[in-house]
Amino acid sequence: MSPARPTRREFLQSTGTLAGLIVALRVSDLGADAPMDGFDPSAFLQITPDDQVTLWAAKLEMGQGVRTLLPMMIAEELEVDWTRVRINQPSTGGRFAGLDFHTSGSGSSSSMYRALRTAGAAAREMLVAAAATAWGVSPDSCHAERGVVTHAGTSQRATYGQLATAAARLPVPKTPTLKDPSAFHLLGTRVKRVDGPAIVAGRAHYGLDVRVPGMLVASLERAPRLGATLVRFDAGAARQVPGVKFVVEVTRGIQPAVAVVATDTWAALRGREALKVEWAPGRQSDFDSNRFLDELPQAFARATYKVRHEGDADAALAQAAQRVEASYLFPFQAHAPLETMNCTADVRANRAEFWVPTQTDDRSLEQASKITGLPPSAITVHCELMGGGFGRRLYADYVAEAADLSKTIGQPVQVFWTRQDDMRHGYFQPATAEQFTAGLDHAGALVALVHRTTGSQLTIAAIHAGRNIWTTPVDPLPPDGFERDQSPWGAYDNPYEIPNLRVDCADVTSPVPTGPWRAVEYPSTVFGRESFLDEIAHRVGKDPITLRLDLLPHRVKQVGPYSIDQARLARVLEALRTRVEGLTAPRPLPATNRLRGYGVSANVYHGRSYLAMAAEVSLARDWSDVRVERITTVIDCGRALNPLGLEGQAESAITWGLSATLLGKMDFTDGAGVQSTYADFRVLRMDQMPALETVILDSGAPPSGFGEHPVPLVAPAVANAVFAASGRRVRRLPITPEAIRIA
Amino acid sequence: MKQVSGIELLDLFPRQTSGVMLEPTGPCWPRTEPEFLMTRYVLTVNGSRHDVDADPEMPLLWVLRDRLSLLGTKYGCGVGVCGACTVHENGIAVRACQTAMIDTRGNAYVTIEGLSPNGTHPCQQAWIEEDVAQCGYCQPGMIMEAAALIRATPNPTEADIDRVFRDHVCRCGTYTRLRRAVRRAAGIVR
Repeated sequence: MSPARPTRREFLQSTGTLAGLIVALRVSDLGADAPMDGFDPSAFLQITPDDQVTLWAAKLEMGQGVRTLLPMMIAEELEVDWTRVRINQPSTGGRFAGLDFHTSGSGSSSSMYRALRTAGAAAREMLVAAAATAWGVSPDSCHAERGVVTHAGTSQRATYGQLATAAARLPVPKTPTLKDPSAFHLLGTRVKRVDGPAIVAGRAHYGLDVRVPGMLVASLERAPRLGATLVRFDAGAARQVPGVKFVVEVTRGIQPAVAVVATDTWAALRGREALKVEWAPGRQSDFDSNRFLDELPQAFARATYKVRHEGDADAALAQAAQRVEASYLFPFQAHAPLETMNCTADVRANRAEFWVPTQTDDRSLEQASKITGLPPSAITVHCELMGGGFGRRLYADYVAEAADLSKTIGQPVQVFWTRQDDMRHGYFQPATAEQFTAGLDHAGALVALVHRTTGSQLTIAAIHAGRNIWTTPVDPLPPDGFERDQSPWGAYDNPYEIPNLRVDCADVTSPVPTGPWRAVEYPSTVFGRESFLDEIAHRVGKDPITLRLDLLPHRVKQVGPYSIDQARLARVLEALRTRVEGLTAPRPLPATNRLRGYGVSANVYHGRSYLAMAAEVSLARDWSDVRVERITTVIDCGRALNPLGLEGQAESAITWGLSATLLGKMDFTDGAGVQSTYADFRVLRMDQMPALETVILDSGAPPSGFGEHPVPLVAPAVANAVFAASGRRVRRLPITPEAIRIA
Repeated sequence: MKQVSGIELLDLFPRQTSGVMLEPTGPCWPRTEPEFLMTRYVLTVNGSRHDVDADPEMPLLWVLRDRLSLLGTKYGCGVGVCGACTVHENGIAVRACQTAMIDTRGNAYVTIEGLSPNGTHPCQQAWIEEDVAQCGYCQPGMIMEAAALIRATPNPTEADIDRVFRDHVCRCGTYTRLRRAVRRAAGIVR
């Protein structure tokens, strides 16, 4: 290790975001795996003398494209040949000690944009400085391009590999010059996914593909009902199944369980079939989600948590010329990523290793440390490619199970969840409800809005903290608990200008384990809000886009930490209008003679991304069948760094939203999850896919992320379209033909 | 997003049973020793013959993944409703999770690893060109389905495409690009 190395491990200042920590270069922490003569000016970047440029994705890949986009940010400023860089996924420890890659909230591109470009630019400046010194010329007269530094005057040239050793001795510049975006030649272009070739060849390696020498496989029989506890189990028949090695209790997951551990997956599944387990019901074991949903509107009366108050909504409502009132229900939802939950653990006396597809290396490490009793420094978490995340992999209950099990049996083991396990025993999007009361003046203008919303605590966090939520329900939030959290999203940061606004919330935490789901709290609040605006538009006979534009006086509205630029939202709505004009024009009915209609919705995600959507639906005349024909989305999420990836995320988020809008929900009867596979938890299939049109309005603002952002707009756009087509207003998801008939 | 400040109850579910059943551990992964009650099968996969000792009911999926280390064939549901485990049986797309070893006799199987020597099958090329995959987990099954479709129906209609892909799940929502890739692959074949 060269003695000069510590001087390079400096902190690269970024723009005050946490991302600065992610490219932190620590004096005390040397990359033990870095080659002696390599150049490692950032944890996420390495150049070796053989001209190999290696970039690490600074976030975890679940399909959203961070393995492609984040290295692009470094490569853009570093000036290397994109087709020749090698891209790796980081693991905890080693050169990344002290860092984490926690991936959530559509935040990767926005949080890393400045930091990773700074890392690339700093490295480029060091390579140029090394060349200039060697040639005795000014750095300003040198030029870096495609991994080569050249000097115009003398025609000297050197590759980055040739300069690596010398550059490694230079200090890291704290404020390197970043390119003006107009000079980008990689960012902003349509770049294909870097792991595409591996995926199509079947070589992409996911958590379930982890194979460790001596590894066993475990299938867990978990408590079948919420709050049920284990009484006893009989392993006699299970142990007769060839290949079964252990039958043991696992107590550290979301629910108590008995694990059948065997030499391979099939033996574990067979052994589990033969296992006899007796469970005792708990206090919450009669939970019924339909009853819970039916009773949710009663919660509006106890909406005592202040969320946001502006003006005097009660007084304005009392004087309003007319009132409109409606409420909306959003059921429990499962994530159901295609790769089921899994974790492979090898817990030894003094060290432990985990291989896990996760969005949260930090919580994985925390659970692993707590359960094994080992310090984090003795634990390595290998972050595997995820077969879908969607928020389900944002907590680490499967890591806890694997840690518990491997510690007990003293052998490496892969905890494998079946589809049925995954559907019923994880955590869920909470069921929530929205109630709106609007006051309109004589001209039909919205002068007052009371929004009573509901919010659920995410009880998976309490479970991670060691609480049994069924014997010790979570504490109520303090009176400012929602407002301080700027929650619920979509209720707190309602982007419209409403003179008198009152948003209050009720806590509707249920015995169902709950956690983040794609777009978190927005899907319910935006379904309600954007449906309700449509109801007002129809009531006063106003075009629904015009109604929204009238509520957007082009101010930058400050709501807590969010600067909501109403002009940007108005711009996407105006762009949407030009796209949907064709839908309103009279035209001959298609041969199928179905009812048709379109509906719109809009939202701002955390003051950052501005979206408007139009859905066109068709219905059979007897309402026996509903089909979404087309969805047009206009997006301003700041600078589009990879339009190909951005459009892919729009396609993804819309498909996700459509599944929840038309098909999916999770029910519980007698405390047990009802749906168990994609046969009954239905998700959108290819033949139900509408035509999609995605319009990117690049405002030039900093990139603001996107992976979740279109999800909440889908349900209201479709519900509004169904109303336009049928005159039927569906206020409870999913929007099935039956729901339309009884609406 | 709210965090719940919970009291530390370190043993989440106090253990109910005292007995942890431990058995002598044997050779584990990959399992090579034949177990009792097993039947010997000669399985042809990607042109190679493998002697496999297996429970007759054992799904081909687990033989591929756990015995032959062919990990490109994915588990998605185990009950034949998601298509992630699609392989070719004598050229026809089938679900490996629904194919018991006892039913494999005399058949030749191809998995994603055997579709082309180096990812050059028209479907694989088209998939890359259209940038179909997101997380990619369902895609080997999708590609095997597409390859079987195009072999049987070189000029598939939209209805043909719907008919076979109706039985596949992609939670990332790649359907739009997938359809484009199937059309492109059919064009390459023609």
